[in-house]
Amino acid sequence: MTEADLQARARRKLAGIRRRRRDPRYVRVMGRFVGAGLLTTNERVPPNKEALDVHEVLWAGKVEPRLLELLPALLVKRPAMFVDATDLPEDLEEVVRRLRRNLVPDDFRGIAGVTLHGWLPRVGRKNRVPSRLKSFRFKAEDLRLLRHLSKELELTETDVIRRGLRKLFAEHESA
Amino acid sequence: MLRGIAERLDRWIVDRNVEAREEGLLAIPACKIQVLGQFALIEGGVPLTLAATKDVDVRGNFEHGVRKELERLLRREGYELDPVGHEIWMPRETRYADLFVGAFVRVLLAEPDAVLLSKALKAPKKNAALITEYVAQGASERFLKLATKYGIDLEQFV
Repeated sequence: MTEADLQARARRKLAGIRRRRRDPRYVRVMGRFVGAGLLTTNERVPPNKEALDVHEVLWAGKVEPRLLELLPALLVKRPAMFVDATDLPEDLEEVVRRLRRNLVPDDFRGIAGVTLHGWLPRVGRKNRVPSRLKSFRFKAEDLRLLRHLSKELELTETDVIRRGLRKLFAEHESA
Repeated sequence: MLRGIAERLDRWIVDRNVEAREEGLLAIPACKIQVLGQFALIEGGVPLTLAATKDVDVRGNFEHGVRKELERLLRREGYELDPVGHEIWMPRETRYADLFVGAFVRVLLAEPDAVLLSKALKAPKKNAALITEYVAQGASERFLKLATKYGIDLEQFV
């Protein structure tokens, strides 16, 4: 293909991209993301504070893939941004399921799983990632130790256990 | 935006170094910060439709304290340093242009052709619309030559 042919085909394709950028769905979605400080753009986009339809975000994401990059983490950390954060296509639902467990998901519509996971601590409440509930049976002596350490160290009981785990792991690794 | 941050960072280092001299401590050395990725295009005023997440990709030879101050200044503007921004692949031929030169801080922008080449090669799906727009406008000879050299099939974008 000559350079002139390449440019001509690019111009035709660009015309389609520009039409999609004028679509109200794209404008609504970009307005919300830009207004929330999640994206910056040199396009003029009217701010939007309304909750978004996930399917519209997926559609707009075909034009601006950065929307897809942020979407899964937002569904976990900021579900109120969306009209219904549970009405998801299967591939997105699987990604969100993995992120809820703080696991790296598979790639999603051209976005690497590692990239998707990387946004989890950076949107919504910063540096907070989903935690998982685990139940254990403790004996009376375990509970006594747990309460004693919690009081002495001025930590929650959960943080006492977390700290104990890390200390044990470090000792094991250095042995 | 980045120019203002570079100025404030430079003033911060100047102040820290005045204190260091008075206390007989080591001064913070001069540093060079190369801006890569989408922000290199935005700050360079490239006439393409650009959108970016809030993370700024840089590569630099700055100390830990300078990095922390840069992160703080970016956060104030609603941005942050991409923790892996320095790993972005750039072609060997990349040229850099000064955005700011201060007493201790020099900030350079990666040239648009190299940034676009990097995006076309390493993240074609994410940047398809951007590359299409650039080719539609008439990509530079330099970009086209580099695309051939690095084996980028531009037909995928049209």
